[in-house]
Amino acid sequence: MTTPIKTVISQKILKKEVLEGDLCTGCGACVGLCPYQVIYHDRTVQLHTCDLENGKCYDFCPRTSTDLNELRNMLFDAGDLTPETGAVKGYYFSRATDRQLREDAQHGGTVTALMELALFEGLIDSAIVSARDQEFVQNGVVVKDEAALRKNAGSKFTVSPTVAAFNRLAATKEAGKIGVVATPCQALALAKMKLKAVKEDRGKIDQLKLVIGLYCGWAFAAQKFKELMGQNDIELESIAGMDIPAGKNSLEIYTGNGTKSFPLSDAQACIRSACNYCLDSTAEYADISVGAARFGDSWEEMRHWNQMIVRTGKGRNLIELAIKRGVLEVRNAPAESLRQLKNVAGEKKKEALKNIIRKSGSAKNLLYLDRHDPVVRRFLAK
Amino acid sequence: MSKLLSPARTQVLFMGNEAIARGALEAGLNVAAGYPGTPSSEIIESLAHVARERKLYVEWSTNEKVALEVAAAASFAGLRSMCVMKQNGVNVASDFLLHLTASGTRGGLVLVTCEDPGALSSVNEGESRYFARMLEIPLLEPSSFQEAKDLTKWAFELSEAIGNVVMLRSVTRMSHASGNVICGKLPAKSRRAKFDYDGPVMDSRTGPMISTPVVAKHTLHQKKLKGVEVLFEKSPFNRYAGPAKPQLLIITSSVCFLYSQEAIKMLGLHKKVGILKLGCTWPLPPALLKKHLLKTDKILIVEEVLSFLEENVKVLAAGMLKQMGSKIFYGKIDGSLPSVGELNPDIVAAALGKIMKVKRKSLPADYTRKLQKAAALVPVREQTFCAGCPHRASFWNIHNAIALDGRKGFVCGDIGCYSMAALSPATGYHTMPTLHSMGSGTGLASGFAKLAAFGFDKPILTVCGDSTFYHAVIPALINAQHNRADITFIVLDNAGTAMTGFQPHPGLPTSALKETVPAVDIAAICAAIGAKVMISDPFDLETTSKILTSFLEDKGSVKVLILRQACALSPEKKGKKKFNVKVNDALCLGESCGCNRLCTRIFRCPALIWDRIKKKALVDEVICAGCGVCASICPQKAILKTEATV
Repeated sequence: MTTPIKTVISQKILKKEVLEGDLCTGCGACVGLCPYQVIYHDRTVQLHTCDLENGKCYDFCPRTSTDLNELRNMLFDAGDLTPETGAVKGYYFSRATDRQLREDAQHGGTVTALMELALFEGLIDSAIVSARDQEFVQNGVVVKDEAALRKNAGSKFTVSPTVAAFNRLAATKEAGKIGVVATPCQALALAKMKLKAVKEDRGKIDQLKLVIGLYCGWAFAAQKFKELMGQNDIELESIAGMDIPAGKNSLEIYTGNGTKSFPLSDAQACIRSACNYCLDSTAEYADISVGAARFGDSWEEMRHWNQMIVRTGKGRNLIELAIKRGVLEVRNAPAESLRQLKNVAGEKKKEALKNIIRKSGSAKNLLYLDRHDPVVRRFLAK
Repeated sequence: MSKLLSPARTQVLFMGNEAIARGALEAGLNVAAGYPGTPSSEIIESLAHVARERKLYVEWSTNEKVALEVAAAASFAGLRSMCVMKQNGVNVASDFLLHLTASGTRGGLVLVTCEDPGALSSVNEGESRYFARMLEIPLLEPSSFQEAKDLTKWAFELSEAIGNVVMLRSVTRMSHASGNVICGKLPAKSRRAKFDYDGPVMDSRTGPMISTPVVAKHTLHQKKLKGVEVLFEKSPFNRYAGPAKPQLLIITSSVCFLYSQEAIKMLGLHKKVGILKLGCTWPLPPALLKKHLLKTDKILIVEEVLSFLEENVKVLAAGMLKQMGSKIFYGKIDGSLPSVGELNPDIVAAALGKIMKVKRKSLPADYTRKLQKAAALVPVREQTFCAGCPHRASFWNIHNAIALDGRKGFVCGDIGCYSMAALSPATGYHTMPTLHSMGSGTGLASGFAKLAAFGFDKPILTVCGDSTFYHAVIPALINAQHNRADITFIVLDNAGTAMTGFQPHPGLPTSALKETVPAVDIAAICAAIGAKVMISDPFDLETTSKILTSFLEDKGSVKVLILRQACALSPEKKGKKKFNVKVNDALCLGESCGCNRLCTRIFRCPALIWDRIKKKALVDEVICAGCGVCASICPQKAILKTEATV
């Protein structure tokens, strides 16, 4: 008697482990590869059943198991790796030299300035960024010029299926060189593609030339956020921007009629549940990661600056070019700032691991994570 | 000239339904009304065809109850009228029928019900003979094509003799098979309509047509039915054939008579078994029954669907126990014959052989082997929508909207070709878990939508066809609107009563008589009750999907989406392709595409096939109806459609 081979249908396990397991980040890695998976609002939907085994949808998902060590070794210099914030080649404060850009973008406008430069210099042919429509639905869009980049600048606070836009663009033969602005989950998905792409798909992923990561503590679930806005009579179309100012413990919504402030606890009630199980707050799998600067006492001064982790040689080259071309003003950040960042990032990891164990019911079952991974082991509660 | 108008004494090959129509013409029919339903539809169609020559008024009514009301009006005015429907139509008509049989009729009124044992083209195995018993009206069942004509003609005379409705029951194999019929004379004169109502209340010829005083009229009604028994005792439509002292007596009616005859022949039992064939099956004539029951102790009752005849024979026999002694009855009740499904000569022969302890000469072993071998060659065919069917696109849209919504919504189904979505779930993309009578999908949806207070939070959708909308949906839709049921109501408007053969309905500007008539607009009706109404082409996947997803998000009221696209088999479309559709081999990535054969594995239009050698999709140009929908679903855009030049 031979034991029948158990067929493992990728879509089915993806549904069970990730979608129904509340782990889906909405990054879009499983979308745009086939007609079966789509994003609707900020939810990943399986339209029809697919019976393929070893599907890319499962392989690329940032919430299915991965050998993260292998991934780190593939992407980064071993000497740069830190347990809290991934590879750190350099750590800086920065802002765009263009004042108008700083006004339009979040904080110092570093991300937009870097993407503009990469496009202008021909390092990339297309940039994929997150865009929001009138209904507050987020999508990844392909932009090729400065105006389009600036139109979509600014933090969105809800997830965008950016990786789906990459999948779609990469599938066209004349995509050229692609740069992506990615949240931590999206950056991880893109990194997994590099690791897992089968031979025939190599050409697609090899078009990815630059990933600029965004710091991310969590994102809102679109529905809950819309409800919160609805209860407070804020028209979604009127929202021009949002921020969580340092030290204020509140969410500020900037609308045409002025700023509206919410206690952070109200905002946190709208967090997408998948975010509770995420260990990465600094987009560890990007070339460069950018967040809001946290230094000194004056928020008014800080809010127009970014902090930035350079992770790869490619990232380093881009920053050097940005300084040379005068598009970015860069300061060395004090060691104390990095120490603070590591502290916060480490806490996020610990908290997420606690949440994972609470969900799985066992410290031996860390869902998509490997409990033998050195970083995971380091932050597992003793 | 239509063969329905063949001269007297000529022998014509008639379909059973045509024979019934001819019988009505020979009786001097004036008015015929009905609602389409297999296997009954050809009767009204045949009559409409000769309406001008025979000075008839023929209509497709909105439903069977209205059809009976239209026919009854003609009867009240002294005309001869006929009302035609399938088995479940009698249920629809039954409310009026109950009151009509109580008030009585004047001109001959024949209710023809064509039933579908085995539900070959139905979603039920309904049996309406019990209505005849319950409503105390005569029931006639023809067992040959000649009888179909002759019994129909006589039914009008009988109806006038007793002043009440006469029910004539046919079944699929009678209605849809054909046989030779010798025609009788077509009357030269037509009647004039006249309605008197000033006479005494108990005078059914001149008084008001009402059912009151109920008890007095009921008494009169029953007295007349007694008179029917007397007529049935001598009716030539009840006949015995067989030995004087048979070992077994078969009592049967309808096509079961033909099956019984064949079974006796197959087993060579004609010297031992006799058949009492009844054309008049309610009320049973007691003296006739007694005469034949006395011939033997063993009786087999052969009939389809329920044990109506068997029960009635047994009741009579029980009343005559003293004179006749006890008998052994075989039939459905003791399990000699199956209690469900259609009968056939083989089934009857098996039962007969068992009772008579006779083995049927078995077929040569070689024959059986060859038969099995040939059967294995027949490809498995799933029940599915035709190529180019708008319903496939509609359900594709519905499925996607439900999936996107994510709350596991579902569709309450209804009767039409779209019932296939429930009968063959993959065809409806697993969206439609309920299927009942016409209009019931909307009523069920209205009910499901009110269960939110009990923790039921799924979006509720329902579908109905254009003809169904007029037939039975309107009250349910008004119910949903009035009671604030949050439903998405979808009309699958394919421009005709497609399933039964494109009979016109009130939404079309043409009548059964091909006259131009006002079309009643579904959208206007829905808007008038206050529902939100949108119209879309189901072939336009993008627009339709957008409307549906927005409807599912729009909570709290009745939303109506009318999906308009004519049936692929409709006369205006048939044989004409809008698009030439083909697969571009260079673009189709075949098995290396991530699509995992979406076109042939999930979408499953019969015109899309998988080329097993090339391992790519292929359009079967012979089957393809040219709707072009598949071009919208291929993620590689490898299915190309080009406007067909006529």
